[in-house]
Amino acid sequence: MQNIEREIRTGDTLQVGDYQITPQSQVLSVRLPWKYSGLIWNRPKAVLVRTTDGRETSLPVRDVTRIIIWSMLAGGLAGMILIGLMGRK
Amino acid sequence: MTDEMKENPPVEAGLEMYQDTMEEFLAAADVRVVYGEPIQHDDTMIIPTAEVLCGMGFGVGSGSGTSTDNPEKPAQGSGSGGGGGGRILSRPVAVIVASPEGVRVEPVVDITKIGLAALTALGFMVGMMFRMSNRHHALPSVEE
Repeated sequence: MQNIEREIRTGDTLQVGDYQITPQSQVLSVRLPWKYSGLIWNRPKAVLVRTTDGRETSLPVRDVTRIIIWSMLAGGLAGMILIGLMGRK
Repeated sequence: MTDEMKENPPVEAGLEMYQDTMEEFLAAADVRVVYGEPIQHDDTMIIPTAEVLCGMGFGVGSGSGTSTDNPEKPAQGSGSGGGGGGRILSRPVAVIVASPEGVRVEPVVDITKIGLAALTALGFMVGMMFRMSNRHHALPSVEE
């Protein structure tokens, strides 16, 4: 077994009206070097929607909070670098 | 020592407990953990989703020894122990809304986390600005 493993898991299909909804999740499992320890990060990835006419679409589940936080931290870091460069001139 | 204890020493009991805990831990990787129970309201079905992060560690050990303080009557002893810890973090990510009009994913925005991140980024920037201005206003070093 690998120490770091990433896989996409598919759940049971739900029937809602004319739609068949199949949830998907992405699992990242880390086995630490010590024998009895580990870490699992499980997050929703997408929802597969199938209509009665056979069309299948994938709706991604985006973590807006994480996107905003990382964008802000990246912006803060870029701002710091910019201020540092401006201060040198 | 009783026969029962001989059959099931503490280390093995600890390992059994570890197996049970590990099975519960691995269950966190299931899809059903991330997608909640569907909530039906009239024609609309709502499925809450969350991300789950969990970590754990466990250790078991044992040892034995013989005391040689009294060579005529050596004493034997043994001991074992174990310990572990873990944490599960869960956070709502989005809500899936399925209605006769269609299926859509509505994100869940955590304002508190965003606010804290904004304050952290702002703090870093203000700190950097103060550092820069202090460098400019510092007294010139006295040359010997």
